[in-house]
Amino acid sequence: MPDALLLAAALLCGIAGMGWLALAMDVHWRQLRSGTPARKIIVTLRVLGSTALAASLALCLTVDHVSMASLVWVMTLAASALIIAFTLSTRPVWLAPLLVWLPART
Amino acid sequence: MLQSFRHSMTWVHTWFGLALGFVLMVCFFFGSLSVYDREIDRWAIPASRFEPQPMPSFDRMLEPAFRRIQLTKEAREEAQTRNEEPLPDTLPLHEWGAYTTHRDPVLSMWSGFELTRPKDPDNDHVYGVMTLDPRTGQELSEDKLKIGSQFFYPMHYELHIHWLGLGYWIVGLAALIMLVALVSGVVMHRKVFREFFTFRPKKQTQRSALDLHNLTGVVALPFHFMFALSGLIVFAGIYFPVGETMMKPLAKAHQKLEASRTGLPEEAAGIPAPLASVDAMVAEAQRRWAARGMAGEVGFLGIHHVGDANATVSVYRAGTDRVTLTGEGIHFKGPTGEVIREDDPKTAAAGINDFVTGLHLQHFRHWLLRVLYFVGGISGCVCIATGFIFFVGKRKRQHAATGSQGARIVDALAVTTVTGMLIATATMLVGNRLLPEDLPLRGVWEERIFWSAWGLAMAHAFWRTAAVAQARIAPAWREQCWAVAGLAGLAAVLNWVTTGDHLFKTIADGYWPVAGVDLVLLASAALAIVAARKLRLREQAGAPAAKEDAPAPLETAHA
Repeated sequence: MPDALLLAAALLCGIAGMGWLALAMDVHWRQLRSGTPARKIIVTLRVLGSTALAASLALCLTVDHVSMASLVWVMTLAASALIIAFTLSTRPVWLAPLLVWLPART
Repeated sequence: MLQSFRHSMTWVHTWFGLALGFVLMVCFFFGSLSVYDREIDRWAIPASRFEPQPMPSFDRMLEPAFRRIQLTKEAREEAQTRNEEPLPDTLPLHEWGAYTTHRDPVLSMWSGFELTRPKDPDNDHVYGVMTLDPRTGQELSEDKLKIGSQFFYPMHYELHIHWLGLGYWIVGLAALIMLVALVSGVVMHRKVFREFFTFRPKKQTQRSALDLHNLTGVVALPFHFMFALSGLIVFAGIYFPVGETMMKPLAKAHQKLEASRTGLPEEAAGIPAPLASVDAMVAEAQRRWAARGMAGEVGFLGIHHVGDANATVSVYRAGTDRVTLTGEGIHFKGPTGEVIREDDPKTAAAGINDFVTGLHLQHFRHWLLRVLYFVGGISGCVCIATGFIFFVGKRKRQHAATGSQGARIVDALAVTTVTGMLIATATMLVGNRLLPEDLPLRGVWEERIFWSAWGLAMAHAFWRTAAVAQARIAPAWREQCWAVAGLAGLAAVLNWVTTGDHLFKTIADGYWPVAGVDLVLLASAALAIVAARKLRLREQAGAPAAKEDAPAPLETAHA
């Protein structure tokens, strides 16, 4: 079952990546933290997000032929974006683990 | 020309989207179900609930089965209209075909016969079909409809409108409009990136409907675009039939040239000859694929000019390891079993065409991509449905004030194509479980149940949307949600009662085709209940407000 695990990891990377990209936006940042994020944090979040999405592609490529892997990846991104959007609209606090490395301001 | 480019795009998006949206809803919904057509077939035909089988032995099982294939009465009558003289009892054989996939327990077989004196020499064949259980060599009754692959699947590309092939054309036009709607939608949407993840369910219906419309449209945009486009490309030969019309002599000449180039005879020799061992040819084909490092299950076996000295046997691979529609066909001389040729490598244009077609038809083996395609298709449905809701919500107060019925009619059609379609589908599955097993023309009855249920849902939709004309939420939505919940739940229960395959059993056995259909039915029922309860709350909240509130124009940027 390593293929299934790798694909699950690809999906998780997709979700995390979309999550970080969303949290780099003021409106979604405010669903978890107060104020506006510092410029440096925004950049960090975007880099984290893009890296996670790239990692998701890499994982897809280890499982399948490049043509199949690219399709799986594009569809994974769509599904991840939907999951993040619905999580933000109903249970934003579930995304807190994505900011666990960042101490909340007191 | 309207004031600005964006306004023009808004106009196009609104009105073309509305006109063809009802068709698109059908295409996206039944297209999504078609991702799991073989699994729905298993659910609908309990006798076929076993593991997928490889192509069985031709010499021992398929040849005798092929010889049993007869024309149905309807096929014979139709063929008679194309023949100059009365057809003899036994028609000369022309070709045999057997097709399976990695998801098919049963084998589809067909036998082509030649007309004796065809009126049109290019239209001189008639086909008989058979569904075979490859474990036993016994045929399954053709009266049992494969609801997934024979009803839902064709529904999504031709709507079961056969007259003049009109169904294909309507769907083709809808696909074209889908592309237009996607482009114009991006143009009119000012905050593609800023609102990429935005969905605010607690805001007014208008706001949340538009959020959901944008969200499902934008995040799955590559999917929507590629599927509308590839759907058009799959049937390009129908929409742009140059080969059969303006360039017919050229196409004929090309066919002859190909036959002489490839060594695959176009015509029978007229000399009877027996067939060598096809099993040996299949083994040789599999040896050659293995030498090229490819997955080697046979997907399609075709025999041309059966019983003739010019007979050819073509063996194609089931292309489960690639997106592209592939087969790596290897062709043999029927009477001797020697290899005539292997298919040429694809040209660039043919390769792109096969890739785009394969992307849509998904013959590959990939459970995750299948799930994601289903999610993409359903998000398309949500996108279209919320488009209708936004359209009605935007206009109903104004229409109520002026006494116009426009918003009400659109709402009734939206109810028909959203919840009404779900009711028709669930009712068909309920009917499938309740009709007597050996009822003659059982499949025809199932289709009648489907259309009748949809008709009733439409009547109910028009009756119970009167509230829209008073600028309120139509009770039709809530009532049909309850019907969906009841029918979908009932279908899952009936599957248990009539076959004994309840979810605990199918999940424990790991028989996911049936377990999956049941799970989706139950999930749909649960979702429908949630929707119905929320609608009740909104109706109650909206009833007094509608009298007091002044019409509030919402989102004037969007028509």
